[in-house]
Amino acid sequence: MTFELVIVLAMAAALFGIGIYGALSQTNLVMIMMGVELILAAALLNLVAFWRYLHPETMAGQMFVLIVMTVMAVEMAVGFGIAVARFRARGSVEVEEARELRG
Amino acid sequence: MSGSAAETLFLVFFGAAAVWFGIVVFRTHSMVRSAIALLFAQTAVGAMFLVMQAEFLGVLQIMMMASEMSIMAIFMVMFMMDPGGLGAMEMTHQKRLSLKAGGAGFAFALGVILLGGWGPAAQEVPAAAAQTAALGRELLGRSMFVFESAGLTILTAMIAATMVAIAPQGEKEG
Repeated sequence: MTFELVIVLAMAAALFGIGIYGALSQTNLVMIMMGVELILAAALLNLVAFWRYLHPETMAGQMFVLIVMTVMAVEMAVGFGIAVARFRARGSVEVEEARELRG
Repeated sequence: MSGSAAETLFLVFFGAAAVWFGIVVFRTHSMVRSAIALLFAQTAVGAMFLVMQAEFLGVLQIMMMASEMSIMAIFMVMFMMDPGGLGAMEMTHQKRLSLKAGGAGFAFALGVILLGGWGPAAQEVPAAAAQTAALGRELLGRSMFVFESAGLTILTAMIAATMVAIAPQGEKEG
């Protein structure tokens, strides 16, 4: 077992925990997206650490990182699109004011 | 100081910085400060990539997050009633449950990390130029379908986001 790998994974676990807290506790759509970004950053750290310390000769690990970065960009684009539409309709991006979506 | 000790030291330093700025994101009342703290956290993650000798990904992470978080800060100022946090508005709910869920997620991940058998660590990493060349071959060879799917997904998301964001026809602005 490598000490460096455990350090990086532990830091990623901490970022993951903070991201979960942020995504669940915030009432603002943009702040929730920040929590999701932290969770995805933790996933990125894990992928790079696994590539570096377990399989540096296989480039599929780095390819996965590019895919997760794509997911981050897509999440931001769609999230901001929804935020703009919501702000235009209600003048706010507070998720607690979106109860009427329940129907 | 040996290379491995320096690597460990920098990983701990940048990891602690990423975690600290991650906490600051949700502790400050100012939304602009939150966006900047997230930028610093993501930059620290990019620096960890550089320490782990993934140069291309590290630079990509820092560049991408710098632009992404700048856009986020602009959106914050646009959408928030109190972007500067001067009124110290309460913008959280179910705090206790969230803390428990975050703590449980961290504890579970830490348990898996400490109990998992990771095997011996690789000592040698290909040089930066060799890595980039190998990644290019991977993207345009074995993983081409996945890579092209990612490009198509971004294109779809761009069109979808634009369509969602533009005002419906007939609706007056303002």
